[in-house]
Amino acid sequence: MTAMPPPAPASAPAPAPALTAGAAPARSEAARLGLRLTLPAQVLILFIAIFPILMQLYISLTDWSPLSGRPWPRAWEMWNGFANYADLVADRRLTGAVGRTLLVMVVCVPLQFLLGLGLALLFVDDFRGKRVFYSILIMPMMVVPAVAGYMFFMLFQSGGPVNDILGTLLGRPVTIAWLSDPTLALVAVMIADTWQWTPLMFLILLAGLVGVPDDQMKAAALLGANAWQRFRTIALPRMKTIIIIALAIRTIEIFKIFDTLYIMTAGGPGVATETISVYIYKITTQDLVWGYVAAIALVILIVLSVLAVLAMKRMAR
Amino acid sequence: MTRSPLIELLRYAAILLAVAITLVPILWMVSIAFKPVAEWQAAGADLTWIPRDPTLENFRYLFGRSDSALIVALERTATRPILASILAASFGTLIAMTAGTAAAYGLSRFGAGANLPLALIQLRLFPPMAVMIPVMIMWAFLSLMDTWWGLALIYGIVTLPFAFWLMKTFFDDMPREIEEAALVEGCTRLRVFLKVTLPMMRAPLASATLFVFILNWSDYLVALLLTTRQWATIPVYMASLSSSMTGQLYGAKAALGLIAAVPPVILGILIQRHLVRGLTFGALKQ
Repeated sequence: MTAMPPPAPASAPAPAPALTAGAAPARSEAARLGLRLTLPAQVLILFIAIFPILMQLYISLTDWSPLSGRPWPRAWEMWNGFANYADLVADRRLTGAVGRTLLVMVVCVPLQFLLGLGLALLFVDDFRGKRVFYSILIMPMMVVPAVAGYMFFMLFQSGGPVNDILGTLLGRPVTIAWLSDPTLALVAVMIADTWQWTPLMFLILLAGLVGVPDDQMKAAALLGANAWQRFRTIALPRMKTIIIIALAIRTIEIFKIFDTLYIMTAGGPGVATETISVYIYKITTQDLVWGYVAAIALVILIVLSVLAVLAMKRMAR
Repeated sequence: MTRSPLIELLRYAAILLAVAITLVPILWMVSIAFKPVAEWQAAGADLTWIPRDPTLENFRYLFGRSDSALIVALERTATRPILASILAASFGTLIAMTAGTAAAYGLSRFGAGANLPLALIQLRLFPPMAVMIPVMIMWAFLSLMDTWWGLALIYGIVTLPFAFWLMKTFFDDMPREIEEAALVEGCTRLRVFLKVTLPMMRAPLASATLFVFILNWSDYLVALLLTTRQWATIPVYMASLSSSMTGQLYGAKAALGLIAAVPPVILGILIQRHLVRGLTFGALKQ
């Protein structure tokens, strides 16, 4: 959104010859129609990206808040230069939230990837009941995340089923207060995220595995390669792009993690599960320091844009 | 290739374990939804997996038809939040699919709007939380706060990337001979698009629409910021199902959760074939 590239007609996919070839009026008819068809999408992007970001930049340079009694265009009366940006560098709660978000990311992304890959490997060839099991296993990702939050909130109550199952396994009553213990609350949140999103990894990686040519795998087997060797030397290299896409999707989504987590713990106890989105939400709705929130939001947008451009450059190579 | 029965057994064991872990949270919610008040209120006293005395009481309670003396009647029933969710998600889907399909066709056939693919990926990349301050100010200015139409508009923008990318890959895959034939017959390009291309694309359009609908239906954060009372959606309303007097109304929450969870799960299974394409922005067509 911030780094919108200028229209580059050269890189556009070439239209089918027969649709563009022909007399000059026909060509301009096509160009005009193309422009008209893409116009609504362009307007929507402008409406939600360019304009709000400029507004955000302006507000971030002021102390403006919805309680200040001024409409936002007059926020300049509360101009404070770069004070908000200076504040956010020293904001311990913000660095804590960033750290926790990154922690969830480095635990959950690899975990969900390995679980998803393991499941996908079990599903490569046919077996009885495959379709039914497949449909069941992808269900969690279609459960509304907020509802999943309530589900896990109920599951992790001290008298809830998780403790009940643990109690049965251990043979003694278990009464862990999952959601009010700072460490366990974070674990519970990660379990919920892994429950909901491992299916996504499974779905994407299975699609990738199925795309690996069967005859090559069979040939390698005839040559004496064991399953691990076949997977590493034939399947893995072919799945490289797919794996990168799957990891990228989950990394991006976990960076934004909010729904399930907020309903389970509201960032608590204290700030033990406060992630970037939860922190921003809280200061937006409770502290109402919108000038400051705008500064944080803008910095996040810039950092993400830089990372995205770097990532795409690497991908292109 | 034949496998040893032992390996086959291990495979089934692993899959069944995964299926059990997948189903336990869902089944627990289903179980609570059908338990009478006394059974879910005593959370922990003795835990029952299957309701001893199954009832529709929780569902009746949500719609203000409960005759139970055990819990206080609801101030607001769930009817309106359900309506709000349906309206916002449906019209949001309509906006995203209309703008997305048109733009995808414009790019796929005429090379217009070459900035769109990247711009829309970026739109998807950023946390909605990071642009909500300006959106809240704009929505307040336009009197769109706490309305289903205001919510539908932002849903249409948030899911536009998916609609656009899905339809673009579908259009790119579609053979162009029929369109060209219609063009030779003397149709205008717009007519070809509306009368030839779109009818041929009915199945992909339906899948993409359902996919975008699931995404809109699943939102929580945007509705939490943009709706309060009048048009609060299901997940936002759910938070009101607890109070200092009653405590957590687990039964009602589970019942409403079930109502919210069933449509996307069914739709998702219906469009299984296209899920991978939708989720990976068409990078993977399965």
